Amino acid sequence: MNPVEFLGNIIEVSHSNLEIPARINAILNIISHKMDFNEVIVFTSDKDKRLTCKYKNQKSILFNILNKYRCHIGEGVIGSVAQKRMPQYFNDKDVPLRFGCLFYSEVDNQMAKYKIFAFIPLLDDSYMYGVLVLCSRNRHVLTDAEKILLSIVSREIGGVLRTNDLLLSSKKRISELATLSELGKVLTSNLELQVLLKDIAIIIARALNALFITIKIDNTLFAVGPRKYTYGDVYPQIEHYVNDLEQKAVEGKKTVSLVNHLHDENDISIKHTLHSTPIISKNKVLGTITICERTPQRDYMFEQNEGYLINNFASYITNGLENTLLNIKLKDVVRELNSAQKRIIEQEKFKCLGEMTANIAHEIRNPLVVIGGFAKRLAKKLNMDQIESKYVDIITNEVSRLESILSDVLNYVKDAPVPFESCYINDCIDEVLYLFTTDTAWNNTQILKDYDNNLPPVVCDIQQIKQVLINIIINANEAMDGGGTITIKTETTEEANGRQYVIVSIADSGGGIDPFDINNIFNPFFTTKERGVGLGLAISNKIILNHGGKIELENVVGKGAKFFIYLPVKTIKNGEVFI
Amino acid sequence: MNDVKILVVDDEENIRFLFKEELEEEGYSVEIAANGHEAIKKAKMTKYDVIVMDIKMPGMDGIQALNEIKNFNKEQMVILCSAYGEFKQDFTSWISDAYVVKSADTSELKQTIKNMLSARY
Repeated sequence: MNPVEFLGNIIEVSHSNLEIPARINAILNIISHKMDFNEVIVFTSDKDKRLTCKYKNQKSILFNILNKYRCHIGEGVIGSVAQKRMPQYFNDKDVPLRFGCLFYSEVDNQMAKYKIFAFIPLLDDSYMYGVLVLCSRNRHVLTDAEKILLSIVSREIGGVLRTNDLLLSSKKRISELATLSELGKVLTSNLELQVLLKDIAIIIARALNALFITIKIDNTLFAVGPRKYTYGDVYPQIEHYVNDLEQKAVEGKKTVSLVNHLHDENDISIKHTLHSTPIISKNKVLGTITICERTPQRDYMFEQNEGYLINNFASYITNGLENTLLNIKLKDVVRELNSAQKRIIEQEKFKCLGEMTANIAHEIRNPLVVIGGFAKRLAKKLNMDQIESKYVDIITNEVSRLESILSDVLNYVKDAPVPFESCYINDCIDEVLYLFTTDTAWNNTQILKDYDNNLPPVVCDIQQIKQVLINIIINANEAMDGGGTITIKTETTEEANGRQYVIVSIADSGGGIDPFDINNIFNPFFTTKERGVGLGLAISNKIILNHGGKIELENVVGKGAKFFIYLPVKTIKNGEVFI
Repeated sequence: MNDVKILVVDDEENIRFLFKEELEEEGYSVEIAANGHEAIKKAKMTKYDVIVMDIKMPGMDGIQALNEIKNFNKEQMVILCSAYGEFKQDFTSWISDAYVVKSADTSELKQTIKNMLSARY
């Protein structure tokens, strides 16, 4: 064998355009052929610090036995060569029984056939890529020159393996960047949330070759409610694993993986690896991405990689996703504003139209009354024959028809009566009291509030109720003539009729009402004031009666008067009032 | 029946004319006023059994006039009679003794007056 020619062949192959595995196999075949080794096998060092039998020469017999097991660095001859980074050579007399791991009984049976063994580490300047194993049946000795030659060749193989690593990792990186750029495009487009989630899921699923991927968004901050998109099929058997994992990812705010190492072949979860990662923005979890891939059987290189990648993708999409969610919220708000504005404009239009129609209807009504009225008078005064009185009848009938049309129109367009609305009476009282804060007539009046803070709301015309409160509170202040205490208390009660009422009591320290006047105070135009019309309490009473309530009076002469306003507790459902 | 005095207050001359004729035919003695001020003036001088008061009038409207009249004579019976049905909802109109929507058919107005007078006697 010409060593120069030999090395030339090897270098030619290692620098060729062949795929990396083909290059290594070709080199191994050259070694086998030129140096007369029956076995030329390469163990590669994996990320998990174990060695796998991966490449072989064409005629290798041991490969099929050796590649069933993986061995740890430091274990057996192969492991110790990898650990010490020093080649070892043996002949059939001194070769250790343990090649690699403990279970090589099949190898043991073959050992006797070989005469010499060489184990050479595949090194780069600093990194160990694996071990080259050589066995020969025909040769008995290995010369020093051959050992040097093998060490040169092993360097070359190390170099090819390094190229392989770099190539794979740059391919991976390129596809990762391509995925990120695709994600970027989707995130900056103005898609609906559901479409966006779908696109993100598809891109990530393709990039990671996932069986399925689930993206969940659940954040009250954006008021979008829970949204979920799943690409691929989730087997029902592993659905609860997915939910558990998502929960763990959200709670721990970090990527969690589930690799099931059970040996129960019936458990479908063994065949799948799950990774779930939270999508976190400003320390708040917006949702999760969960992927499922087939648990790798052979390739140990990238086992832990997907978890890292999905984490990367999650942090990349966070900002874009947050913007989209904000956008969605903004769109909703704008839509609401627009529709509110439209409604207001419609209402204004309708109001204008209503006012105009009402005015016209009124202007028509008076002449109609005159026409119809005098037609009737004519009929009464004149001695008309049958046909003439029929004419008058037609006029009066048509007038009354027009009158009823006008009434209908007016009923339709007139301002709807103020709808009763639900109101908290304590707030109502506070708003009324606020009116008096700047009034000098109240400088010497102390107001004590004793509210029941758990009052149910009452359904009422708030303006009218305020009018009642104002009337009674002003009366109380005037009765005290320059100073005293008004106590306002709210409470609930159930009357004998089974109905629940809210009671507002307003007590003054004005000396009470003259017993002689007591029976008149609710009558219109009854007043004890110098400047008073005497309508305040009459109107108040009528308002409260209209609300289905009542006003009662407790009068202690010499001390003060106490008014009780009863308002029934009602509820509004679908615009209707229920008692 | 000639001793029953009625005051018809309306800004429309033809309405005043119509109501006057219709009510006189019922046997009442009817006077007229064209607005709130005139009505108050007349009500202060003469005691009417019933005042029929329009609401929408230039100058002083019917509700203001009603309040003024009730203020100096709360026994005075007043019927609000207007083309405006919705004033029924305004509580300031509640102090009137009755409310009739103006119509070419005066029978409701006549009946209301009859009821009021018979309630009084």
